[in-house]
Amino acid sequence: MASPCEVHVADASRDLAGRVLEAVAGEARRIERKWSRYRTDNVVHEINTAGGRTVTVDEETARLIDYAANLFELSDGRFDITSGVLREVWKFDGSDRVPTRAAVAAVLAKVGWRRARWRRPELTLEPGMQIDFGGIGKEYAVDRAAALASAISNRCLLNFGGDLLATGPPADGRPWRVGIEGLAHPTRAAKEIDLKQGALATSGDARRFLLKDGKRLGHILDPRSGWPVEGGPRSVTVAAPTCTEAGMLATFALLHGPDAEAFLAAQGVRHWCLH
Amino acid sequence: MQLKKRKPMRKLRNVGTPLAAATCALLGQAAPRTVDAQELAPWDFDTSFLIYSEADGRVQDLSLNGIARKELREDSFLNLTFALDSLTGASPSGAAPSNVVQTFTSPSGNASYTAGAVNPVLDSTFHDQRIAASGSWQWPVTRLTLMDVGASISNEYDYTHLGVDAKVARDFNNRNTTLSFGVALASDTVDPVGGAPVPLAPMLGLGNMASKRGDDSKDVTDFLIGVTQVVNRKTIVQLNYSLSNSDGYLNDPYKILSVVDAVTGSPVPGPAGSGLYRYLYEGRPDSREKQSLFGLVKHDFDGNVLEASLRYMTDDWGVDSQTLDVHYRWGLKDGRYLQPHVRYYSQTAADFYHTVLFDGRPVPQFASADYRLGEFDAITLGLKYGMPTKKGEWSARLEWYQQTGNADPAARVGVLTNLDLYPDLNALIAQVSYKFGRR
Repeated sequence: MASPCEVHVADASRDLAGRVLEAVAGEARRIERKWSRYRTDNVVHEINTAGGRTVTVDEETARLIDYAANLFELSDGRFDITSGVLREVWKFDGSDRVPTRAAVAAVLAKVGWRRARWRRPELTLEPGMQIDFGGIGKEYAVDRAAALASAISNRCLLNFGGDLLATGPPADGRPWRVGIEGLAHPTRAAKEIDLKQGALATSGDARRFLLKDGKRLGHILDPRSGWPVEGGPRSVTVAAPTCTEAGMLATFALLHGPDAEAFLAAQGVRHWCLH
Repeated sequence: MQLKKRKPMRKLRNVGTPLAAATCALLGQAAPRTVDAQELAPWDFDTSFLIYSEADGRVQDLSLNGIARKELREDSFLNLTFALDSLTGASPSGAAPSNVVQTFTSPSGNASYTAGAVNPVLDSTFHDQRIAASGSWQWPVTRLTLMDVGASISNEYDYTHLGVDAKVARDFNNRNTTLSFGVALASDTVDPVGGAPVPLAPMLGLGNMASKRGDDSKDVTDFLIGVTQVVNRKTIVQLNYSLSNSDGYLNDPYKILSVVDAVTGSPVPGPAGSGLYRYLYEGRPDSREKQSLFGLVKHDFDGNVLEASLRYMTDDWGVDSQTLDVHYRWGLKDGRYLQPHVRYYSQTAADFYHTVLFDGRPVPQFASADYRLGEFDAITLGLKYGMPTKKGEWSARLEWYQQTGNADPAARVGVLTNLDLYPDLNALIAQVSYKFGRR
């Protein structure tokens, strides 16, 4: 998951906590293995190296692709699992190396879900195109692992690199206290939230950006233009029943740039933005 | 002035319902659970109402207190306190009881009060409203150093206090040791009803203000140096030394002394035409230096917490005191607790404490008959009950205070031999508190 993952279990014996941990860690590892773009032994690698061939995917991958197709429609093309290739020209390492317009345009030719042919369970991409579940995978893993954990204990808090879900509060009914990382001091909580049940997901560019002529370019790229979204909040946290929903709403909001808060208000969800 | 052009409002799409449906399909969950997430209020509040009631019609205090605390950042807090007190009742004036009815001029100079034969002399014109507020700000200067600065103000009908303070605390030894140093400065103004009496001047008849002058003031400087040590996971000890210097008008403007016959113990006639016996306004030194040493141990007995402290105080007025204070927080089910409290206090009399002065002898340089400067012991027994609620915590406290003192043995002459020259003081304290906010 490229980030620390933890699970807290309240009012549990060592044995019970151990079983929760085993279930959660097992599911996180399974999901990482199956859809990580850094591996060469999984379905994502097969799709990304197909060179125009059609790949038949398993049922769970098909559900993820269905979901990604839905996200593309719901976000009017702002969320696109084929946008990962833009990273070939955009390296958000805090430097001032901003790519040329020509370089961005060249890569953009390989981006666009509309160019993919998805006939469940068969996916065909144009040669050079790739898919990446990075924008969904961590949140999906939290929800899946939480489903397994809640079969053992309904008093767990899962935290996969800042994407959280509580299966329920500890026995005394007091909530889990969660801090949203501050921008200036990442170790200090900018906001504190009491979470009894449900999920909190945060999207942001706190530590991934480019600085060009004093202007900060965050790592949220608009796949329609190939350029970073400007003028929006630097961090968005959303509360929702599932971590996946919360994460997608936070990502959609960031993709709306300066309209992020208006977008979140229109969704009627609890949210917190840091600028 | 140029008006900012408003951006046209764009209708933003509500994707909530289709997104929820798509997520359900992805996760294979029939009915998603709900979300219950609340941002913590940035403020914490602690409010209380207290009744302090002395027996025999003496002082009654109704007190309303509030503390608000805001976390600005981690380790950075703003603290605000507020208190409103309403004091009524009667306060011992310092005059000794006698076998005759005694008449006194009240502090304003335009009324009088009497004390029946044998009865203690209580000035029932005593009443006051007090309003007090303070603010302090604490912030980390470095990773291991906390700074705290504050200011306080209070106002009564006849008294105004202004104070500033600063404290710096630094952690050492893996944060197991904290050294702190504090300083506080106060400047108080006293503007008594009828003016501040000239020390040791006689009480005069109605309308005669020759023994009174205007307002007066005092300055107080406090220094504190302390060390707190974490002994182990369950025990903390603390040791503080403090030095306090007061300068200026340190009298209680409403306290007097009786001048009696050295053989019969009866009051002697006062100023001609006043119709009063002879009473002198008290006169204390105009400086006081106090030093105190305070030690505290806090130990966790598996969820039940014992807190015990000892304080030794000595000053250059000859008052030495010691205080033993013990609290035991006894945890019950569901976060409720019972907390018994025992406090024992004992002090020696000030060098210039005199229950009475004798006629015909030279008036000492300093003299006071204020029972609070006499020799006494006091015991407090209390019990507190606390109960958490969904949003905070309720607690109720009931305490009983008894003070037993000894008059100056030299005062036991004539009629005074059989009178109660240092009546016991009994008081009840009842308090209800509610804490709420981010907890």
